[in-house]
Amino acid sequence: MALPLEGIRVADFSWIINGPQIAQWLATMGAEVIKIESQVYIDIGRINPAGMADRTPGPNRNGFYHALNYGKKAITLNLATDKGRELADDIIRKSDFVLECFPIPAANKLGITYDRIRAVKPDIIMISVSLLGKTGLEPAGWVGWGPMACSFVGMFDAQGYPGGPPRQTGGTWPDYAIASAVTFHVLAALRHRNRTGEGQWIDASMGETVIGQIPEWYMDYFMNGRDRRQRGNRDDVMAPHNTYPCAGDDKWIAIAVRTNSEWEALCRVMGDPDWTRDSKFADQYGRSRHSDELDAHLARWTRKYEHIALAHQLQQAGVAAGPVLDSVELHEDPHLWEWGFFRKIDHHEVGERILPNMPVHMSNLPELNYSMPPDLGQHNREIFGGLLGLSDAEIKILMEQKIIY
Amino acid sequence: MANRALDDLVVVEFAQMVSGPMCGKMFADMGAEVIKLEPVGAGDEMRAHPPFPGDVPHPEKSGSFLYLNTSKKSITLDPSTSAGAEVFRKLIVGADVLIENHQPGHLDRIGLGYEALNALNPRLILTSITPFGQTGPYRDWKGTDLIEFAMSLTGYNTPTMIDDPERENPLRAPGHQAEMMGATAAAAATMFAIFHREATGLGQWIDAPCWQAVASTSKIEMAALTYAGVPFSRMRGNVATGLEPLPCKDGYVYTLWAADSHYKALKTLLHNPPEFESEVFDLLVGRQANDDVLRPMIRHELLKYDTEYLVSEGQRLGLTIGPVFTVAQAANHPHLRARNAFVEIDHPVAGRFEYPRSLVQMTATPPTSTRAPLLGEHNAEILGRLGYSLDEQQGMRAAGVI
Repeated sequence: MALPLEGIRVADFSWIINGPQIAQWLATMGAEVIKIESQVYIDIGRINPAGMADRTPGPNRNGFYHALNYGKKAITLNLATDKGRELADDIIRKSDFVLECFPIPAANKLGITYDRIRAVKPDIIMISVSLLGKTGLEPAGWVGWGPMACSFVGMFDAQGYPGGPPRQTGGTWPDYAIASAVTFHVLAALRHRNRTGEGQWIDASMGETVIGQIPEWYMDYFMNGRDRRQRGNRDDVMAPHNTYPCAGDDKWIAIAVRTNSEWEALCRVMGDPDWTRDSKFADQYGRSRHSDELDAHLARWTRKYEHIALAHQLQQAGVAAGPVLDSVELHEDPHLWEWGFFRKIDHHEVGERILPNMPVHMSNLPELNYSMPPDLGQHNREIFGGLLGLSDAEIKILMEQKIIY
Repeated sequence: MANRALDDLVVVEFAQMVSGPMCGKMFADMGAEVIKLEPVGAGDEMRAHPPFPGDVPHPEKSGSFLYLNTSKKSITLDPSTSAGAEVFRKLIVGADVLIENHQPGHLDRIGLGYEALNALNPRLILTSITPFGQTGPYRDWKGTDLIEFAMSLTGYNTPTMIDDPERENPLRAPGHQAEMMGATAAAAATMFAIFHREATGLGQWIDAPCWQAVASTSKIEMAALTYAGVPFSRMRGNVATGLEPLPCKDGYVYTLWAADSHYKALKTLLHNPPEFESEVFDLLVGRQANDDVLRPMIRHELLKYDTEYLVSEGQRLGLTIGPVFTVAQAANHPHLRARNAFVEIDHPVAGRFEYPRSLVQMTATPPTSTRAPLLGEHNAEILGRLGYSLDEQQGMRAAGVI
């Protein structure tokens, strides 16, 4: 049995996080993703100090790259040369998708624009991922990286403590956060092409994807002219609804209470202290109105307990609670291991390591394509020789000329 | 014109609040017929959630509900009754996808688990979106967006650049980002399952947990531990090259000065203050090691200039710099307006408002939203199609089945 995208080929010019995360969906689901890299302009994921195995540099040793590029094939092609661009076109002619995240000036210089690519391959589906879209006014031409899209559309202004300054959401938001949404639309485009023969251009603006994922803020503005701004952990409906300090250094538990029965369960776990009987906490409306006072009471109690154990105890009592996990705790979490979130790899340069899998299970597919993250240029011979039909001698010359480079 | 990309698909959505409905919205805006099953009486719980026009609650006026349920049809149904379960089964026979976001085991308990549904329709794709997934020790835990987000490493790392861990408790991202991550991962996986079905004729069951989806947004922070051996720290100084909103004369800007060329551009932008002229700052390692000296200097200089100057001139110089807008500022920005990032939708009860238009823009099959349905608006249409006479429908209404 085949994976769903077997037979689909992707010419992947993207790098760092956002494009690679989209390509990873396609690759693990069976598409042949040809990641076009170059030593002239190496993927930052290969050299970023944060992910270097044992802090030793090397393009094939980086966990940042490994976590985002398993399942793919990697070639090196110098797009700054005419011949390099010609070879890229040869790959595009044999591809279903082109994926790119170049800023507009670089895209124009390299010829990775929809108008030109469409001339090379009329039914191509081209996926562009950019900060704020590739059409429109001046911001379309801005250089930047993912989080700048959040700052533009109000997400960082909404991310903060009430009345405080704007703050940044973690995890290099939105680079990863938009990937599944874009992938869904890419697949719809593929289905449309399969049915009609028509390709298209997907102009994904990270900013617009984020807008579509914070509708509470935008709808409040459009309905009421209200600029919601920072809300901390406050919820529109639930209280208590916050993270609370626990025993130890920088340890926290998240607790969210919606119904009266959940509130009563929380009170029972706390041993029904007197303050919980205050009439102002008797219903959801009162708890919500007095949430600061409620939070202060709760924090005095949670501080005495270990965060993971307390979350288990509260969940057993029927209260939604969870420990705030740091990176060590996340990698030790029994649920993530049992569910199959992590996989162990044994890599020829860095040995045994742990990487996150794709975050879904599908009951009726063969195992997803989790082939080893490729070394720089590992598939040069396979792609230039096998796919494009160049001879070994031709490949050798192109390597000497630093075109396959 | 209705979108053609998915216009042959029938999706049944048995879901409330954010994760399931967002997944359903993505299919509906791409042209699928999405039939939303709502609880008899109050409907989707989201109907009770703000914002409301004028802050007056009304089940047909919740802005969150109206956005998350565009382009769908609504029927009210109680599938835990035998008559309701029969309607549910008839719907499933003709459906391509069932999206649901109940606690694991709930469908089984009402006799509508995957095996029962697969027996009715082997082509069905069942997409289950839950907080923690269908297996594992937290399977039965109660999750909310706050809990799922807080437990992901991204939750530990939000907000970034912490000075005082006692005072700065971890925050969830604005809105329901863990649920959004679960919804979009589920939507992508469902599309893959549709391709699989087109090749094999067989459906499947998709387990799409929100926690795992949002945990996948911290791959660098994970690699820092599993590759470099450094436990990720949420404290300032961990990454010392900008990366936070910085105050300027009339607001905030967001920038970073990791690359040497960016730092040079930043100096030019700030008119080369003499105290920046130190070789120590010219290389990244020096800037990182001396962040406690350099950053206050940069903060001090930025306060002299307004957003407009810093962003236009900074971008002209090749610096990665952008404005930190409020939602209201962004909603009125000419660039987003020029791209038609918002669309006006009229609703017979709530009225005419703008909505975010679509998650991505596409040239041939752009996502297109029509208004959200009224509660039970399509009861007669859908039940009629399933072969129930008007008398039978009347009886079901009286019995509280619809």
